[in-house]
Amino acid sequence: MQTSDTGHSVTRRTVLASALAGAVGLAAAGCARGTQTRPAPGDVVSLFNDNPTWAPGYAAAGKALHQLVGYRLSARASPDTSSYQQIVRMSAQTDSTTDLIKWWNGYRLQDIARSGILQDVSSAWNLAARNGWSNDKELRDSFSYQGKQYGVPLYKSYWAVFYNKPLFAKLKLDVPTDWDEFRRVVAALKAKRITPIASGGATTFESLTWFQQLVNGLDHQFYLDLTAGKASYTDPVCRQAMKLWIELFAAGAFSAPDFNTATVPAQFAQGKMAMHLYGSWNTGAYLSNGVKDANLGLFLLPPPPGGNNSVVVESGVLSVSKKAHKLGAARKVADAWLDPSVQRAWTDFLKDTSADPGVVPKVGAITELAATVRQQKPTQAIRYWEASPPVLIEGNVQDLSAFMINPTAANASRTLSSMQRRADKEWKVWRS
Amino acid sequence: MALVTTTEKLPVATRSGADQPRRGFRWRRALWVGGFLLPAVALIVVLLVVPFLVTAYRSLFDDNGVSSRFIGLANYVALFTDPDFGRSLLNTVFWVIGTLVLPVLLGLLIAVLTNSVRWGSVARTVVVIPYALSGSATALLWTFLLQSDGAINQTLASIGLGGLQQEWLLHWPLNTVVMILATTWQATGASMILFLVGLQTIPPETLEAAKLDGATGFRLFWSIIVPQLRPMTIVVVGMSIVNSLKTFDIVWLLTRGGPGTASETLALTMYRETFTLSRYGYGAAVSVVLTIVVLAASWLYLRRQATQR
Repeated sequence: MQTSDTGHSVTRRTVLASALAGAVGLAAAGCARGTQTRPAPGDVVSLFNDNPTWAPGYAAAGKALHQLVGYRLSARASPDTSSYQQIVRMSAQTDSTTDLIKWWNGYRLQDIARSGILQDVSSAWNLAARNGWSNDKELRDSFSYQGKQYGVPLYKSYWAVFYNKPLFAKLKLDVPTDWDEFRRVVAALKAKRITPIASGGATTFESLTWFQQLVNGLDHQFYLDLTAGKASYTDPVCRQAMKLWIELFAAGAFSAPDFNTATVPAQFAQGKMAMHLYGSWNTGAYLSNGVKDANLGLFLLPPPPGGNNSVVVESGVLSVSKKAHKLGAARKVADAWLDPSVQRAWTDFLKDTSADPGVVPKVGAITELAATVRQQKPTQAIRYWEASPPVLIEGNVQDLSAFMINPTAANASRTLSSMQRRADKEWKVWRS
Repeated sequence: MALVTTTEKLPVATRSGADQPRRGFRWRRALWVGGFLLPAVALIVVLLVVPFLVTAYRSLFDDNGVSSRFIGLANYVALFTDPDFGRSLLNTVFWVIGTLVLPVLLGLLIAVLTNSVRWGSVARTVVVIPYALSGSATALLWTFLLQSDGAINQTLASIGLGGLQQEWLLHWPLNTVVMILATTWQATGASMILFLVGLQTIPPETLEAAKLDGATGFRLFWSIIVPQLRPMTIVVVGMSIVNSLKTFDIVWLLTRGGPGTASETLALTMYRETFTLSRYGYGAAVSVVLTIVVLAASWLYLRRQATQR
């Protein structure tokens, strides 16, 4: 009994002591400085991004950077885009920020650049132009806020049509060179009960794909004006774009609107799907999911009747945080990022085009695409996702998703009116 | 303790003197009660009340996560004039009604029907298994079933019922209805378990007495079992109301609130405004409204039930 009593008493004391120790420990841990609040060790520059699968690519680029500027990269990632943006917005104002931050160009970059959390890296663009690595005015503009650049291009992707080469060969189809040929290709595939074009977007950002393609294809200058808030969504070009989109829906060109893009490579490999209009950054996904390099092609979609040769371009951004622990080192990395040796290491991993047109990874589809761009010299339009204030784009993309469920003329008209109403409101907010 | 010592020394002859020890006892008792309540109250204040007040304060600002400016009640004005908010509120009401009618009623029926039959445990296990799955696993499974090229449509086509194929997740209100059904599939097990616990607390004598009086079948169920299950029903319905008002995971994973904002609930609107659009002030306003709705619904329901008891 006595033993038992003592046992209880000791147990209770032990429990209380442990609880107290635990609480003190937790409090101490809470007050402690985390690894992110200190500079990265030695020759390491820290980088935060939203894609954990790119870590080997950053390591390869870091190796090349080390030889040039003496710094390598240590990447950490948060794969959910919403959480990622949230963390960057919060941490960039504190000493928990990484030295380098991956972001998006256009208005998304302006949105955070005007908050003053990014470092001006115009010198990196000047250096790239002087050395002949990249002198792309349209691209540079999309990295600018009030005449200064706040990031360097992580990659430069083109929105082009991935196509299934064996399927095209089997049905004796050629890559279309004009809109009528494109429609004939669609009809031929449909007749063979093959889904001509993978096109998701019912609940994803991908609903912007055909809208941006058709508006920009019909009238590049109008697309620039529209996305700059100088033209209206109810103007005839937008109406014509919606009409063409509806015609393609009526011709059975598209997959179901809730199609999962991640399954496209498998459907290509099985010969069930023929084309997919998407960013060329998706090439790696095809090659790592059973599609052979020789079986994958990329072509620029011909413009609709009356249109012009223009291509939608998308570019990730590598920015330097103003509060970077190693600000000098991060700026050196930004300066050297477009060096061909770094770009070769990086694009060999990414299997996508670089902002330096001289660096092309050894992938058939990308080589093909780079050659087409060199030959056609299309005008370039920034992707719709980054082309206007983020809140406007997010809302309009949701309208387009809803349109894809019910692609009729009446719904197109309602959708465009709704997009314009939002544009009126959000441009006012953006400019205020 | 000092107070107690003082009162012990006071004379007890007068009336006021007699009150002193009683008051001292009351104080001591209040201190003890307060001491026991303190950890729970502190946790609620620190983890619930303070964040709520901070959120309410933040809802008065135009805040993009980096900079903010005071705009008073403008976020609330914008919220109540936003047609998307009306749809979101309507969907939330659908969820409350749907999850009250289906999982609660089914849980009760299955619990009663399987309580005393031979293979009841097998049936109960089958109903409970989905409850053990995580929300995201459930959503993945139902996405596989409900997508336009998913298992349900493929099965319908293969058995010659292609005419019944639907774009299940793409049209409102069908998408909200099928998502409520998916939730029913998962949540019925939980209410069934609670009702089973309730059934076991019904004294056998009560049931025997009812049977001796000639009550069987539906009469026994309606007049004896249902009233006896009342305390458990209050808990199950209360939890169901609160959970349905907070519906987020399954809608986010199946439709992302779309197409457009067609299937959004209040919790999704809050998430989209805050984390997708980085409008932290507006998102805070939605969360304040959601909190008030949840608290008001819970308070009204529990108050009514408590009064009736």
